[in-house]
Amino acid sequence: MRNLPVSLWIGGALVGVIALAALVSLVWTPQDFATVAVSERFQPPSARYWLGTDQLGRDVLTQLMVGARNSLTIALVAVGLGGALGTALGLLAGAKGGWTEEIVLRLADFSFAFPALLFAIMLAAAFGPSFANAVVAIAFINIPVFVRVSCASARQVWQRDYVLAARASARGGLAITRDHVLPNIAAIVIVQATIDFAGAILIEAALSYLGLGVQPPEPSWGRMLSEAQTLLFLAPQLTVLPGLCIVATVLGFNLLGDGLRDLADPRREKAR
Amino acid sequence: MYKIRNLSLSFDGHEAVRSASFDIPRGARLGLVGESGCGKSITALALLGMAPASARVSGSIEIDGQEMAAAPERLWRSYRARKVAMVFQEPLSALNPLKRVGDIIAEPMRLHLRLDRRAARARARDLLVEVGIPDPEARLDQYPHQLSGGQRQRVLIAAALSCDPQLLVADEPTTALDAHVAGRILDLLKRLSETRDMALVFISHDLEAVARVTEEMLVMYGGDIVERGPTAQLLADPRHPYTKGLIEARPRLDALTLRADGAPRPRLASIPGSVPALADLPKGCRFAGRCPIERPACAGLRPAVSVLGPGQRQVRCLAPLLPAKVPA
Amino acid sequence: MPFLLRRLAGLVATLTGISLVVFAVMNVLPGDPALTILGLDSTEDARAALSAQLGLDQPVWARYLDWLGGILQSDFGTSYAYRVPVTELILERLPLTLTLGLLASILTIALATALGVFAAARHGKAGDWVTMILSQLGIAIPAFWLSILLVLLFAVTLRVLPSGGFPGWAEPLEALKSLVLPVTALVLVQASVLARVTRASVLEVAKLDYARTARALGLSPRRVMWGHVLPNALVPMVTVAGMQLAGLITGTIVIENVFFLPGLGRLMFQAINNRDLYTVQALVLLFASIVVIVNFLVDMIYLLIDPRLREGRS
Repeated sequence: MRNLPVSLWIGGALVGVIALAALVSLVWTPQDFATVAVSERFQPPSARYWLGTDQLGRDVLTQLMVGARNSLTIALVAVGLGGALGTALGLLAGAKGGWTEEIVLRLADFSFAFPALLFAIMLAAAFGPSFANAVVAIAFINIPVFVRVSCASARQVWQRDYVLAARASARGGLAITRDHVLPNIAAIVIVQATIDFAGAILIEAALSYLGLGVQPPEPSWGRMLSEAQTLLFLAPQLTVLPGLCIVATVLGFNLLGDGLRDLADPRREKAR
Repeated sequence: MYKIRNLSLSFDGHEAVRSASFDIPRGARLGLVGESGCGKSITALALLGMAPASARVSGSIEIDGQEMAAAPERLWRSYRARKVAMVFQEPLSALNPLKRVGDIIAEPMRLHLRLDRRAARARARDLLVEVGIPDPEARLDQYPHQLSGGQRQRVLIAAALSCDPQLLVADEPTTALDAHVAGRILDLLKRLSETRDMALVFISHDLEAVARVTEEMLVMYGGDIVERGPTAQLLADPRHPYTKGLIEARPRLDALTLRADGAPRPRLASIPGSVPALADLPKGCRFAGRCPIERPACAGLRPAVSVLGPGQRQVRCLAPLLPAKVPA
Repeated sequence: MPFLLRRLAGLVATLTGISLVVFAVMNVLPGDPALTILGLDSTEDARAALSAQLGLDQPVWARYLDWLGGILQSDFGTSYAYRVPVTELILERLPLTLTLGLLASILTIALATALGVFAAARHGKAGDWVTMILSQLGIAIPAFWLSILLVLLFAVTLRVLPSGGFPGWAEPLEALKSLVLPVTALVLVQASVLARVTRASVLEVAKLDYARTARALGLSPRRVMWGHVLPNALVPMVTVAGMQLAGLITGTIVIENVFFLPGLGRLMFQAINNRDLYTVQALVLLFASIVVIVNFLVDMIYLLIDPRLREGRS
């Protein structure tokens, strides 16, 4: 491919590294992530502990890898669920128009009014902090964006001549949505999902930092940071890597999203 | 007043305007004609020292004896509005939507003439009267979107006139307006030029509009001024094949009288091909490749300017057309 | 005016909707609120006693109306953990959160505008690139990690600023000092997004004809930028600014916990850990309402900026 946007390369590389670490952690980690060995705590990097150990003697690299897995899983499932539901609602609104559209869009507007992080905190408070509840909360706050994006693009597709022709030949709304609308809005939905992925990672990190996300002993970057913060004077090095992982992942998905958007809409790129 | 000598404007080494030379005497009305991309708009911007930053400017622009081609932006700024002002194509987008009409007109006066608020407002009202806007007092407090297209263009003209410039550059000022309104704006520009003894450079691709407003015209193609002369003569008796093509391409309603409006014209039909990109222009005569009477030498050799008749008319062509047999 | 009335009606509807959602999520969906408060290890009897005490034997809608009616008289119920009216808890901690939020909002807008205009004015040059790369990083940094890094630098290493806690308003200078790092962390993150939007918007407007008209009338680049380009660029900026302020307000929840600042966010966190249902419920409603109202006010700024909107076009 010629002339791929630079952001696509950098973003892809960052996401690739983190995703690889997460995948590898499924089959192999340097140490067991739950093993506590207080005698081994605060070890500097060595052949055994590549990135050293934390206050409980756990291997930092292992924690980071499994943390990547947990972060990405939550983001993937949550954005997948929220995106699917939101897109379905948006497609429905775009196809039906009229009252359906009005109601769906109004609901989306309303959900927008509720700040994402606050909503997630509220759910965690009501249902108790857990992996699953973090997924549900993040999935939920992702719905309205996808509703708006898919509805707006679906409506444009519905105005096009070939769709009007398909309607004239008495094809059903579902068939037209499947054959014409969905393929046309796929690109924009994927771009949106990529960008929302970054947001999901940030919210998950904040939830975990507050102790409302992934629960111990499962490692997560956010909780690694909140634990490291209490040891700031003792072992400041522990605050560096989990934060860098979050930044790399969020930056990666943001850049990837920017790059994909430029690919999907070359006019935008030219306009820059 | 304005003396332009060998003015060239180039982008990445490609000349968008190639050693143009002309004068703009006080009170003169000069038409600048050509298809889009011929270099007329950028020439106009250069008259205000507003050529794009990416353009390399060479040659001389002399205003009242002051050499301006390489003048610093600060000096140009003090000339704008006071010596030279410009009216643009789209009257709605050319007016700041968030400012009241009165403030738009008053701002240059407060800045350049150091008028206080009341004096500037009074002059703004007088200017609105001068450009023919009814109920000027009420208009001063309105916003651009509340005015009609023609009124917006008049407001823009009023703002341009606010500091009594000696030259008004009008770049396709009527293209966005409907025919009837456009005609009245053309008449306004002509009248303003006469009553204020103000020079006017009128840029258009519309020959009727140019004929209606100007006394003299320059025809541009590919950055070259290919022909110049008194407007009526030049239209009646074109000597450059491009000018002839332009004239023949306009829709003819009546062979003798010119249409009284400035309506936009469809693309030129009688000239084959289209204007090449800047980088693809021929080195010699820019019109080579599209010219119906092209000779082998044309593409490689830039024709010199020939002076025709008593000296008022010039043409840049190796083989200018013969005089048409027009009844005097 | 019809625009204003429509927006006001929308505001009331949204606030009502939010109260419904908050009530439903906190009271109805999880099942027994007494269980939420007392936890799974509580006895049946204790839960029944608490239910009666909280009036949970009434139907759901009656409880909702009761709660809403109380709120309208600024009565948020009694905190189960602190045994004092929730309103009292909130009023006690509101000034700190308000100061933090306001300081951060003002600085965010100022910094973002300055950076956005700076980058746009140097479009394509080094200054633009550096600003854009830094802002891309700023968007990706979680505010709480940035806070930790700031603490590491200014509190642990340089020892010029406190690492957390709040000395109270009795010592204004010390109080402000303890807010420096929290505000910085909030501002740097939120201003990154806004600066990018500002830059894009300014570039868009600067291409427009009226910017050229202003230049052609002899206005200086500075005057063109601040008098003509920026006011127009503000229009799209305002929407994003509204969303940024929402992010900033919820950001204070996290930041207060990073720096152990006894504000509403810290209170919320403690209330969640104490299963203090009414306090959590009140705080969620309060934060969400502040966000909605801020966005409403931001919408009103449109009316001030853009005369086209004042005529009732929506």
